[in-house]
Amino acid sequence: MSANTPAVDGAKLVRERRLNNAKKNWALFRSDAPALIGAVVLLFFIVIAIAAPLIAPASMLDVTQQLDVPRYAPPSLDHPLGTDDLGREMWVRILWGARVSILVGVAATVMSMLIGTIMGLAAGHFSGLFGGFIMRIVDFFIVLPSLLLAIVLSSVLERGVFTIVVAIGLTSWASTARIVRSQTLSVESRLYIERARILGAGHSHILFRHLLPAVMPLVLANTTLTVGGAIIAESTLSFLGLGDTSKESWGTILKNSMDVSAATSGYWWYVLTPGVAILLVVLAFTMVGRAFEAIINPALRSR
Amino acid sequence: MTDLHFENVSITYRSSSDRGDVVAVKDVSLDLPAGATLGIAGESGSGKSTLIMSALRLLPKSARLDGRVLLGGQDIRELSFGQIRAVRWAQASIVFQGALHSLNPVREVGSQIIEALEHHSKGTWTTPQKRRDRMFELLAEVNIEAAKSTAYPHELSGGQKQRIMIAMALACEPDIIIADEPTTALDVIVQKQILSGLARLVAERGISLLMISHDLAVLSAVCANLAIMRHGRLVEYGPSDDVCLSPQEDYTQQLAGAFPQIGDPESRLNPRTRRPAEVARAEPFTKTDEVVLEAKDLSVSFDTRRGRERAVRGVDLQLKKAEILAVVGQSGSGKTTLARSLLGLQEVEAGSQLFFAGKPLPRKAKELRAFRRQVQMILQDPAGSLNPKRSVYEAVVEGLKVQGIKDREYERVVGALAAAELTPAEDYLESIPQELSGGQRQRVVIAGALALDPQVLIADEPVASLDASVRGEILSLFLALKKNLGMSALIITHDLGLAWNIADTVAVMKRGEIVEYGEVEKVLSDPQHEYTQELLAAVPRLGSQSLVRNE
Amino acid sequence: MSTPTHDPHSGDRPDRGTDTATPGTDPTNPSPASAKGTADTAETNPAAVDMDEPPAGGSFARYFLRKLGGAATSMILVIVLGFFAFRMLPGDPVLKIAKERPMSPAQIAELRSQYGLDKPVIVQFWDYLVGIVTGDLGESYVYRKSVSSLIGEYLGPTLLLTGTAAVIAIALGLWLGQLSAWRRNSLFDKLASSTSLIFWSVPTFWLGLILLMIFGGTLQWLPTGGMITPGLDPWSPAGIIDVITHLILPVVSLVAVVYAQFLMIMRASLLEEMSEDYLTTARAKGLTEDEVRRRHAVPNALLPTVTVVFLHIGGLVAGAVTVEAVFSWPGLGKLTFEAIRGPDLPLLQGTFVVFSAIIIVMNLAADIVYRFLDPRVRRA
Repeated sequence: MSANTPAVDGAKLVRERRLNNAKKNWALFRSDAPALIGAVVLLFFIVIAIAAPLIAPASMLDVTQQLDVPRYAPPSLDHPLGTDDLGREMWVRILWGARVSILVGVAATVMSMLIGTIMGLAAGHFSGLFGGFIMRIVDFFIVLPSLLLAIVLSSVLERGVFTIVVAIGLTSWASTARIVRSQTLSVESRLYIERARILGAGHSHILFRHLLPAVMPLVLANTTLTVGGAIIAESTLSFLGLGDTSKESWGTILKNSMDVSAATSGYWWYVLTPGVAILLVVLAFTMVGRAFEAIINPALRSR
Repeated sequence: MTDLHFENVSITYRSSSDRGDVVAVKDVSLDLPAGATLGIAGESGSGKSTLIMSALRLLPKSARLDGRVLLGGQDIRELSFGQIRAVRWAQASIVFQGALHSLNPVREVGSQIIEALEHHSKGTWTTPQKRRDRMFELLAEVNIEAAKSTAYPHELSGGQKQRIMIAMALACEPDIIIADEPTTALDVIVQKQILSGLARLVAERGISLLMISHDLAVLSAVCANLAIMRHGRLVEYGPSDDVCLSPQEDYTQQLAGAFPQIGDPESRLNPRTRRPAEVARAEPFTKTDEVVLEAKDLSVSFDTRRGRERAVRGVDLQLKKAEILAVVGQSGSGKTTLARSLLGLQEVEAGSQLFFAGKPLPRKAKELRAFRRQVQMILQDPAGSLNPKRSVYEAVVEGLKVQGIKDREYERVVGALAAAELTPAEDYLESIPQELSGGQRQRVVIAGALALDPQVLIADEPVASLDASVRGEILSLFLALKKNLGMSALIITHDLGLAWNIADTVAVMKRGEIVEYGEVEKVLSDPQHEYTQELLAAVPRLGSQSLVRNE
Repeated sequence: MSTPTHDPHSGDRPDRGTDTATPGTDPTNPSPASAKGTADTAETNPAAVDMDEPPAGGSFARYFLRKLGGAATSMILVIVLGFFAFRMLPGDPVLKIAKERPMSPAQIAELRSQYGLDKPVIVQFWDYLVGIVTGDLGESYVYRKSVSSLIGEYLGPTLLLTGTAAVIAIALGLWLGQLSAWRRNSLFDKLASSTSLIFWSVPTFWLGLILLMIFGGTLQWLPTGGMITPGLDPWSPAGIIDVITHLILPVVSLVAVVYAQFLMIMRASLLEEMSEDYLTTARAKGLTEDEVRRRHAVPNALLPTVTVVFLHIGGLVAGAVTVEAVFSWPGLGKLTFEAIRGPDLPLLQGTFVVFSAIIIVMNLAADIVYRFLDPRVRRA
């Protein structure tokens, strides 16, 4: 844009409109009680995850230092969430587990969104052999459940948090790609894409100026929804023994509880607490994500 | 026999959004005596659809009805749900826009007709066999072969679907038929068949007909009485010919004026509008002999499910400087494909020759891009042609950006907007498409093309999706562009009246071929080809209930 | 969706593959809006009476072959992936095993030759392909048995478990979903939707653990694991009842998580259908609300739902892995769980290939069913 005064005024107008939009969206979000509660819950878990070392030093997880703590102590004033088979406080484990679970959830989602958006855009925009090839790959990943592929990947790679992220990220992008693809196809059929072609635009102009901005809001809303799925996937992989056993995560806690048959031996707090933590966080992400989705697309408000 | 009265009807949609309640219909009184025909004309948002839906109590729960709707003397609000269900279709039925989604897409059309009979057997269609016989009888009435009863809606053409809708409406021998835009999205020739068929069937049976449309001419071709609605209010109401030919109200005059009377010298090269575009040049450009764009023996084929089909066959066409050429044809005639080929957006068959300014059309991507600076196209639907997320400035500047034109960007944009008569241009720069009216959006699209300083504009149905009152404005803009800038334009349309309004020359296309090509006056006043004659005859004329009386 | 009335040819531009341009015929793209897209292109196609009729549908054989081709491609990808994931990724699988259980170099060498790892990759791949075709999936390291016989042994219980769960989840989800949509914003809708959101937000296996804890542990109403009490004849009446009691908890855990998804999909697609014009036609014809729903709205809403439901069946099958582990259900999932613990890579590879094959076959079946359900796809 040139340095003309009226044009600058225009930029201001744009800024005002964006600000107004943001205000309107915030008002919409605020009026959605579940989403607000979700946001608060998320904030809470993120804060405790970051502050875990301050609240409960890592030594509290060291088994050798818990010799005088009763094992399998049910929740009480002394042990708010009970203790596990090695005398560790459940609340400390949940605290530290939040770090890995949320980190893996977010990191895997970012990876999956990147791949999904690129593949979805490519599948929707390009035609001919290349488009068909991309489409085939997307279809393949849509049909095969990501958990199965993630199991395979994480069992052949070195155990570790990074492996889990890669295993989930590499396998869970198909649903994003599907959404992005159908949105791309629908935008692609709009006249303004045809108009851009008439004006002389090439692939890159259409992809980055029209298609990407059109799918971005959808991708962002989907991101929030996907984090929940990724956290569940992390817990599942850890539960199957594919996680990093040296690091606390909610899935690892559940695996430990399974190893000591906590469910059938009456140590209910051992099973319940990590699950409730997962439920709360996933539900919170889902609520926030649905609110985003509703803001972007009023027609979806019913879903 | 049943009559229908609207007495001081107001309909309000309660809305929880900040816009508050929306008044869709305000204090409308209309009468439809038994056996009468009444048309309600109005543009989108006039409340005409809401009004007729109230006749059978089909409004959504959020709508509140004040006043009385009397069907056969009964206030429909006093009927129980069971009673209103019995009244629906048996006493009054509706012909919806069959071309859209009014038929269930996953059920055979025959069974959808039978379903109506099952609910209102009226002691006549009591057995499945009798209902089947009745269904075939109805199909025969509307000229649909019996075999089509097992077809699904998507297997039928728009005209066929509309006939099915009419057969369905007739099924239970109602006293009143309400037709909701029955021919929108159909071609003129099919439109004529549907309308005259409907008019005949209704007249034979003494059924009263209530028809709504945005198209005054369509209504006046069938209905004896006409009502004009605007913003939920009744503007004018009276006998068809009075309303059309000597309208009293401003708005009616505007609506009636929007329909060109082909052959009427007053509207020749003079689209009627209250906002004519300004011609600034002292000596306006007129058609020259310098050929800008030319097609020789142009053929285009597609692979379709039916095999390879030729959409354009051996077309020869010349567009001269400062000429407006109208290519007229029905949908499927290949006119859009022709336009796309002229822009190099479409693969053409070997042997086809395209020239711009005497040189063959380039084939390489880079040269094509440069060529598109010279030849621009306006698409049919301005709402769809603009990215809803981008401002007017961004939309107009897009062409400059992709063409790599960097100097005087701001001036070019403002200049183009001014040329498209969107003034003062500065006020619109940061608007987004949703904030503009249909006509304004079309001006933005035109400005986007003008920003590149093209020599040729190709426009695909530039006014088809605009309200009638805006039509004249945009057409007069095309004329002004020709006169002021010496621009050439090729306008694709289904509307012969458009050609009469602005074009120098007209080419009539049928099934991919140009069947008649020449000066507008000559072709339209003395058509040589049978198809041109047929098209001309099918154009509904204002007033005189032409379709009913001619049959 | 307002599709501008183009010439039909601009909708049928040859530069777009028809496959990709008509999303309604693409079962992986089930949004009802796009299904309408197909109908739209057909409708903007009027003009003179007969020429304009959209062309008749393609043959079933062609459709079937195309879908079969797609399934075959997926299967080939699975097989290739099954090979390369397990042999080509960083880290020699044998060394990996060796790391987790102490082994002498001689043992390692023996293992290597047993897996054929001393041969060139291409030969290994060939052996692997021959093996798959002849039903030889190698030998399990943990069980010391052939993988195919193990899978054969454990396949039945998995099919019983996932099959039962699938039928219940589909029936329940679709039924509750359409009720929910029709009574939108009622108490029932709110309850149904929020319950499904909660079920959606928990890991399947955790739900299993909780159920196990309550009904197997505390209340002791139902057995805590296995498929049948040892010693009972599964085909005797007592045996069948015993199997059913064993089946309840794992089925409930699987159903709970999956039905919720089906409910939400059905609800959304019926809601989208509810503003359609043909429902107004039906109402105007004098149908009751119930008839409008049953005869018109639901059949249309089912179509997009069916495809998504079948796609989620894959997830249900995968969910069996953890549920079988929790309830010691002697199926492929438990076998997978054991294989992970081993680690028993040949067994894991085998279960991966077989699981994938099951899912691919089910999706092929779904495509074929879909063609019969939706007349519009018959044109494709």
